[in-house]
Amino acid sequence: MAKPALHARDKLAFLLALVPYLMDHGSVRVADAARHFGVDEDQIRESVRLIAVSGVPGETSSYQHEDLFDIDWDAFEQDDEIVITHLVAIDDSPRFSAREAAALIAGLQYLSSLPEQADRDVLGSLMSKLALGSTGRPSEVAVGSSQADSALALIRNSVAAGNQIEFDYLNSRGESEKRRVDPLRIQSLDQDWYLRGWDHLREAVRTFRLDRMSNLDVTDEPISHHAGEIPLSESLFESSESDLEVVVELPEDAIGMIADYLTSDAPVPARNGRSRVTLHVAHDHGLKRLIAGLSGVVTVISPDTARVRVADWAQAALDRYAGEIDAQ
Amino acid sequence: MPDPTEAATPRVAVEERLFSLVLALLATEQGLTKSEILSTVQGYRQRYSSSGGNANLERQFERDKDDIRELGIPLETVEAPGDPGNNQLTRYRIPKGEYDLPKELTFSPAEIAMLSLAATVWRQGSLSGESRRAILKLRSLGIESDEPVIGYAPRVRIRESSFEPLRQALERHTVVEFPYLKPGESTAKTRTVAPLALVQHHGRWHLSAHDLTVGDKRTFLLSRIVGPVATVQRTWTPPETGGHAERSLNDLDALWASQRAVIRVEPGTDAATRLTKRASVSDSGTLELHYTDVDVLADELAAYGPEVLVESPQRLRDAVVSRHVRTVRTHRGGTGASRG
Repeated sequence: MAKPALHARDKLAFLLALVPYLMDHGSVRVADAARHFGVDEDQIRESVRLIAVSGVPGETSSYQHEDLFDIDWDAFEQDDEIVITHLVAIDDSPRFSAREAAALIAGLQYLSSLPEQADRDVLGSLMSKLALGSTGRPSEVAVGSSQADSALALIRNSVAAGNQIEFDYLNSRGESEKRRVDPLRIQSLDQDWYLRGWDHLREAVRTFRLDRMSNLDVTDEPISHHAGEIPLSESLFESSESDLEVVVELPEDAIGMIADYLTSDAPVPARNGRSRVTLHVAHDHGLKRLIAGLSGVVTVISPDTARVRVADWAQAALDRYAGEIDAQ
Repeated sequence: MPDPTEAATPRVAVEERLFSLVLALLATEQGLTKSEILSTVQGYRQRYSSSGGNANLERQFERDKDDIRELGIPLETVEAPGDPGNNQLTRYRIPKGEYDLPKELTFSPAEIAMLSLAATVWRQGSLSGESRRAILKLRSLGIESDEPVIGYAPRVRIRESSFEPLRQALERHTVVEFPYLKPGESTAKTRTVAPLALVQHHGRWHLSAHDLTVGDKRTFLLSRIVGPVATVQRTWTPPETGGHAERSLNDLDALWASQRAVIRVEPGTDAATRLTKRASVSDSGTLELHYTDVDVLADELAAYGPEVLVESPQRLRDAVVSRHVRTVRTHRGGTGASRG
């Protein structure tokens, strides 16, 4: 039951947004309205038909002609053009709900570390506008600004200018390589920043962590691959044929912590309320870091080589603290 | 149960009924009673029986009111002056002044573009739907957006399943309880709290709440809530003043600034490249890092394995060492499954 209700609520929100827009414009082509709202033309036509027969019960409580919206039907049917000729009850855009305002405000807070947002006053004024336009005090959800990497502004400029960049990049094996990249998109996940770009060394799209880059240079060379031509997957981490499949065991509610590495296989219940899942990792150098950072939560089950890698990694760390361990 | 009148009358789509209800309630100055609404408004009147027995329809009206309020539409209830509590006489209306976006509120094309980008930050959960609806309302102003801010795909994730129920409790001022597992303790304790704010600080979601057991404000990491969030059948009166989210972020910032760890990193390693960028002081491989939570930092540093050696504080050093000991123990030998 919850699903259809939500759907109708969204349709209502759309109707209430469409009316003031149509009214302000006098005459709008269906195609233009669809483009403005980012919906398909049929949704506009269907909504206009509904608006045109809607209204208020009126003095007679019987929805007389003058109590209803009206449109220029000829223009609509023949020229795909919307002209509202009679308005009822609404003429302005609705306010934001407290939660809607809060969602945008928290989003803006997060963006405040972008180079575009250098002017904090602009951001502050935008947030107070949202609060002013909301029906209640925006709810208490906030995102602290992340520490912007110094590389961010440079990369941003190179994306805008369409120039190749060059940097030293430490891959997770710990090897440093000079990379030349066509920057395509700056992506973030919480406090981490990434660059998606065409990697001239690997001749493929690659994702780079900004904090792993050093000696970044913006070159004069224009990019050879453009954002529009290269399909970028939604997911930051693309799995490849050469990936290792690793089975791990962890508590059911911790699965979200490794969501980026999950395969499509469903978790298999194990003992003590734990589950077994299969992960895709590029190599066990990455795996050992992942598992060592989730100590006590995630345990590698197979293959044995991966278990050994993880144990060796933690043991090498312990060896550095050896004095203390021996003393215990 | 099938409604006998339904077959005879054409079905009115849900959105048409909701739209008609909003229009009717906006058009009325003094408000409409429930029976006026059910007997005259499109979508109800077709199913209304003048001889009574409209219980289904009344329940429908209650749900519709909730749906409309969910959109932020200020649907008001006006009690009859002489007879408060008599819900047959209660009137419903939507005051136009509180429905309309204030006229003086204008947005520039550049602002619309920035707000559209802000909306894309949320990809899942209720925040995503709500920011999409806010953008829809902005579009209704008819302002053409500047070119979209290209080249960015910013995302904030909400991975903790406790987020949505806590956010709902925050809105409705309900008291909740949840099992909370403090690091170093083997069993979770049930905490009973009145939520004040949800904030993401350095990539992690925190709940700021009034803890009813200790009678004071506490901050909880959502990742340590290890079971379902249950609503306690009790509401509470929130303090008059807002700003809890901002205060909570400031408190976390202050905590971050006051706590310092000293670590050594191996030159040329991943740890050296990444942690040096974050260090407040860096001197030939010895770094000073600020942090908010010793166990969160310990997890992060443990991932670097032998690339990092913690010097101080002792608690952090112990936490990292015990993680490595546990990792070795659970990964040495045959399948160490479920042994640890």
